[in-house]
Amino acid sequence: MNLLVLNLCLALVWVLLTGTLTLLNLIIGFGIGYFVLLMLRNVFPRARYFRTVPYLIEFLLYFAWELLLANLRVAIDVLTPRHRMHPRVLALPLDVKTDEGITLLANLITLTPGSVSLDVSSDRTVMYLHVMYASDPELVRRTIKEGLERRVIRLLRGIERR
Amino acid sequence: MFGTALLGMLGLAIMLGFVRLARGPSLPDRAVALDFIASLVVGFTGVFAVVVDAPVFLDLGLVLALVGFLGTVAFARYIEKGGPPWYKS
Amino acid sequence: MVQILSFSLLAAGVALMLIAAVGVVRFPDLFMRIHCSAKSPSLGVGLIMLGAALYFDDITVSSKAAVIVMFIMVTSPVGAHVLARAAYFAGVPLWRETLSDELRDHYDLKTHELGRPGATPARRPRPPQPDL
Repeated sequence: MNLLVLNLCLALVWVLLTGTLTLLNLIIGFGIGYFVLLMLRNVFPRARYFRTVPYLIEFLLYFAWELLLANLRVAIDVLTPRHRMHPRVLALPLDVKTDEGITLLANLITLTPGSVSLDVSSDRTVMYLHVMYASDPELVRRTIKEGLERRVIRLLRGIERR
Repeated sequence: MFGTALLGMLGLAIMLGFVRLARGPSLPDRAVALDFIASLVVGFTGVFAVVVDAPVFLDLGLVLALVGFLGTVAFARYIEKGGPPWYKS
Repeated sequence: MVQILSFSLLAAGVALMLIAAVGVVRFPDLFMRIHCSAKSPSLGVGLIMLGAALYFDDITVSSKAAVIVMFIMVTSPVGAHVLARAAYFAGVPLWRETLSDELRDHYDLKTHELGRPGATPARRPRPPQPDL
């Protein structure tokens, strides 16, 4: 976490040096600062920051792609006259244990293709979803577990300190 | 000119939201329509700010997003905990 | 050049929202309408705010746009989830072509507790649904 603050300070220094305060310049400064810290990684032993940031970027890209796909799919179904969905209400056993993880996963499930989270059981072991294209329920469960839940677990493990 | 056309399209979308608000057979349907209209209006403020070239309208969008979310949560609370049973067998 | 890019982003966002509005009117049951009304506005507002940030090209405006996008991205799925849960609890009927409903009968209508599949069913099962 200290490394994040340091990186932000480096970005600010870059903005001060170049003298133009725009969002793009701030992002460029952050990138350069990250690169400098990466060069100095031997100085900070056992820092999780360097592993977390690539996970985070990969996660954001994956998420943006899924969000785009979700919207295109719903748009196609809206614009064609026949309804082609096979909706189901499914139970999804959870591997994420923490509250933050479940919240994040529920939000992501709502934003990605054809699924809305309905509720989590009171003992926090099962999440119920409404899925739009579920002619094969096992396939849907597997896609969500291997695509989203795996990434959420990996990301949270990287962020929390040991 | 192009911006005005965009505003017209968004206005049409908001009108469609109102169609659902008027038709929706139960109170939960109407709450969904209101939530949808609130996010449409946030988008409307963004386009409007660009069309009239005045970034102050983005503040309006921020406040609307906040209030809309609170309204949605209040509605959901009301549907779940209070009021008459919305569907009787 | 930047203006063209920003206006095409705005147009994409607006088109997405219009399609979602058509879906909200057309789709047969409440849960599928939530599918429409939760996803499209979050991406649509995101595109519109990106377009506005590009158009104004100023740190105060773009940070404001970024805050709006973050806020919408967090609140719109939460709102959809809360509404969907409340609607299911209130007994809103599912579409008649819904293939299966694994959540059925797991609610305890008194305490609002929710069991998992295989656990003992709730005391009062969900009432039979009117045909949609």
